[in-house]
Amino acid sequence: MAVSAAGPARARPRRRTILVLLIAFAISLCAACGSSGHEQASKPTVVRVPGDAATITAALGKVATNGLVLLSPGTYHESVTVTVPGVTIRGTNRNTVIIDGQGIRPDGIVVTAAGVTVQNLTVKDNTFYGVLVTGEPSAAEGQGGNGYSTADPDKFPPVQRFRVDHVTAENNGLYGIYAFDAQHGVIEDSYASGSADSGIYVGQCRQCDILVQRNVAERNAVGFENANASDSVYVVANRWSGNRVGMTLLSSYQEALRPQHHNTVAGNLISDNTSAQSPAQASGGYGIGIGISGGQDNSIRDNRISGNPYVGVLLDNTEDIPATGNQIIDNALAANGVDAADISDSQAPSSKNCINGSGHATVRPAALAKARCPEGSARSTGVADTQLPTLTAPPGMAFLDVPPPRAQPNLTGPLDTPGPALPATVRAPDLTTVSAPAPDYLASSAGTG
Amino acid sequence: MLTGAVGALGGAALGVGATLAAEQSDDSAAATPGTSADRVPVYGATQAGITRPATPQPFGLIAVADLDNPRDLTFLEELGETIAALVADPPRGLLPDGPVSLTVTVGLGPRVVAAHRPAWPGSQPLPRFARDKTISTTATDGDLLLTAYATDPTVLPPVLDHLAQLIPGYRPRWSQRCFRGPGQGTVARNPLNFLDNIQVPRGAEELADNVWLGKPLAGGTICVLRRLRLDIDAFHALSVAGRERVIGRRLDGSPLSGGRPLSAVNLDAKTPTGEYLIPNDAHVRAAHPSFTGSHLMLRRGYGYDNGAGDAGLMFICFQRDLRSFVMTQRRLDQLDALMHYATPTASATFLILPGYTARLALGGGLS
Repeated sequence: MAVSAAGPARARPRRRTILVLLIAFAISLCAACGSSGHEQASKPTVVRVPGDAATITAALGKVATNGLVLLSPGTYHESVTVTVPGVTIRGTNRNTVIIDGQGIRPDGIVVTAAGVTVQNLTVKDNTFYGVLVTGEPSAAEGQGGNGYSTADPDKFPPVQRFRVDHVTAENNGLYGIYAFDAQHGVIEDSYASGSADSGIYVGQCRQCDILVQRNVAERNAVGFENANASDSVYVVANRWSGNRVGMTLLSSYQEALRPQHHNTVAGNLISDNTSAQSPAQASGGYGIGIGISGGQDNSIRDNRISGNPYVGVLLDNTEDIPATGNQIIDNALAANGVDAADISDSQAPSSKNCINGSGHATVRPAALAKARCPEGSARSTGVADTQLPTLTAPPGMAFLDVPPPRAQPNLTGPLDTPGPALPATVRAPDLTTVSAPAPDYLASSAGTG
Repeated sequence: MLTGAVGALGGAALGVGATLAAEQSDDSAAATPGTSADRVPVYGATQAGITRPATPQPFGLIAVADLDNPRDLTFLEELGETIAALVADPPRGLLPDGPVSLTVTVGLGPRVVAAHRPAWPGSQPLPRFARDKTISTTATDGDLLLTAYATDPTVLPPVLDHLAQLIPGYRPRWSQRCFRGPGQGTVARNPLNFLDNIQVPRGAEELADNVWLGKPLAGGTICVLRRLRLDIDAFHALSVAGRERVIGRRLDGSPLSGGRPLSAVNLDAKTPTGEYLIPNDAHVRAAHPSFTGSHLMLRRGYGYDNGAGDAGLMFICFQRDLRSFVMTQRRLDQLDALMHYATPTASATFLILPGYTARLALGGGLS
C-alpha cells in the first residue's frame, strides 16, 4: 500500500508539467497557423485498411476520436490494442475480414478506451482472447494465473460504453469475446466457438449495465460465463447450445466484486450441451445447461433448457458463498438428465431459490422442487452428486482443431461512415414479450444441433 | 560432535535428521556450537521460531498442555525471562554446547484466550474437519503450546521440562518430536520427498499482510498444527509422474505449469485440449489461497516418525486469521488428491503471543 500511495503522489506534479507544456504548444501552433484546428481535427474520420494504412494498428494511430477504421477482406496478423475513444473497428465482410493470431499471438483486439465499437469481422486462433474490453490493461496478458492478487477495480475503473456486434470469435485459447471490468455495453449478434474456456464472458463489474443478446456460442468448453458481474446484466435470446456447459453464473474468490448477483437470463435456448468437438471444461463440466455457483438473486425465466444429460439448472455453492434467491420461472425445462438440482454442501447451504411454472420437471432435492417463488426454499444442503447422472465427458479437442463456424450473417446498412456515438447507458430489454424460443432458434448460424 | 551426540541416540528418524544436519553445516542454523552465530535472538516484535531463524532448525519438539486454571497467566512473565536467559547464558546442565540455535515459542489455546478476551483472534477453536473423526480427543485443542527447535535434538526435552516446571497446573496433553531436511528458508523436502513450503509470504510487507496480527496483538499470529500420518508406501507406489500430478509440482520443485524450481504455479495454464496443466485435484491447486480468499499461510512444517508406521508430516502454519486455514482445509477435503494419503492424528490452533523484550514481558497485553 505504501508503494502505490507514493507513486501517484510523485507522478502527479510531473504529469501536470507535461500537460501545461502541451497546452502551450497547442496555443503557439494556433497562433502560428491562424486556424482554430489542432492536431485532433486534422485526423481523418475514416481510415481504410489496407488502403490508407497498412495495418489496423497503424490505422488507429491515424484515425480521429469517434472515427472509423474500416477493414477490407483479408487476413490480419496483429494483436490490436484500441486506445482511441469512440472509435469503430468494422470489417466490410464479417466472414472474410479475419484477425488471425496463428496460434501464437495472445489477443485479437483489446479495447481499453471508452465508447469503442468492434463489429463485422472474425477473430481467430489467439492463445488468450478474441476480443477483450477492459479497464484493467494487464488482463490482456491473461489473468495472471498465480492468483495472489486480484485486479483492483478502484485502481482500474471499469471502461465505459462498448459495443461488440456481428463478431465471429473462433478457436481462441481462453475466451472468444470478453468484457472484464467494463460497464454500459452490448454484445450482440455475435458468435463464438472453439474457446478452451468460455465463448462469451462478462466478468467483474457492479451496476454493469451490459446486454448480451442474440448471440450463438457452440463447441466451447462453456458457452457463456459470468463471474462476479452483477446487477444489470441481461442475457437475452441467445443460443447457448452444443457446448460442454451452456452457461454459468459464478461467484469467484479469484476476482473482485463477489458475490455474483441480480442477472436476468431470459428467452435463451440452452440445449444439448454434449459437444465432443470442443476443448474440455477444465474442471470436468459436461452435459450442463446453466450452472450457478454461489450466484444470488438471479432471474432465470422463459428459457428453453433441454437435452443437457447431466443437469438443466445446477445450483452449488462457491466455498462459503451460497447460491441464494435464484428464481427459475416459466422455463421450458425438460428432457435433461435432471432438470434442476441443488448440490450445495454444508459449508454454504442454499436458500430462497425457487421454481415456478416448469411443469413436470425433475427436481432434486424435494425441498427445491416444492419451493415456489418468491418465498423459495428454506436453508438446506442439496443432494450428493451420487444422486445425479454419471457421465463420462469425451476427451477434449485442441482449440485450434475445432471445426470452423458456418458463414455468419453480415452487418447491414451503410458500412463506410462511423456509427452514432454509443449511449451513456444501455436500455434494459423489454422482457414482457420474451418467451421460450423454439428448439431450432438461431439454428441457421449453428453447426451443431 | 553434533553428529556423535545424535548417533548415540540411534533411531531411524533421528539418524536421518542427523545426516541432514551435518550436510547443511554451512547453514547459519547449523553453525558451530558455542559461537554467537548459533544464538537466535529471543527479544523482538515477534517471538523466535516463526520467521527466525530464516531457515528452521533441523529438530523440533512440540508440546501441548492443559492448564488447571486458564485464567491464571501470571507465569508468562517468568517463562519469557527464563527462555531469554537460557539462550543468553546457556546453563551447562541443559545446553552443554551453548545455545545450539534454540528457540522456544509460546502460544495460548482458545479456551485461555476466550477466558481473557473473548473477542480476540485465537479465541475460537479449530473446527473438526471431514477426516478428523479418527483423531483421539487428547490430540486436539489444548491450553498451552510450547514449541522448541534447535540444531541438537537432545536438548529439547530437558529444556521444555525445565520450562514446564514454571507453569502452575501444567498437564501434558500431547507432544511430538519432529525433524526436517536441509533447505533454504522454509523450503525443504517433506516426508513424501517433495519440496514443501515453497509459496509462503516473504519479506516484511508480505508477512504484515498475511501473518502478523494488528493491534492490540501486533506481532502475534494464529498458529495451526495438524499432525498428518502419511501413507508413504502407497504414495511411492505411484509412478514419479503420478506423484507429481498429485502434488502439482515436479520433484525438483518446478510447477507442472512450467517454470523453474520454486516458481509460482500458473493455475490457468491449459493444454490445447482444455485440461489444466496443474490437474484439477492437484494439491497446489486445491490449497491455493486465491480460491478461498485466504491469506497466504507461512508454513514451516516438519516430518515425524513415531515408528510402527506412524510417520508423516507435522504441519505447522501461521496466518493472521483462522478462516484462512479453515476454508483451505475444507477445500482440501473436497478436492485434494493428496488427502487420500493423509490421516490427521492431531489438530489444534493457538494464539502465538506477540514478541517481548526485557522491558515488555511475554503476554503483557493479556494478563
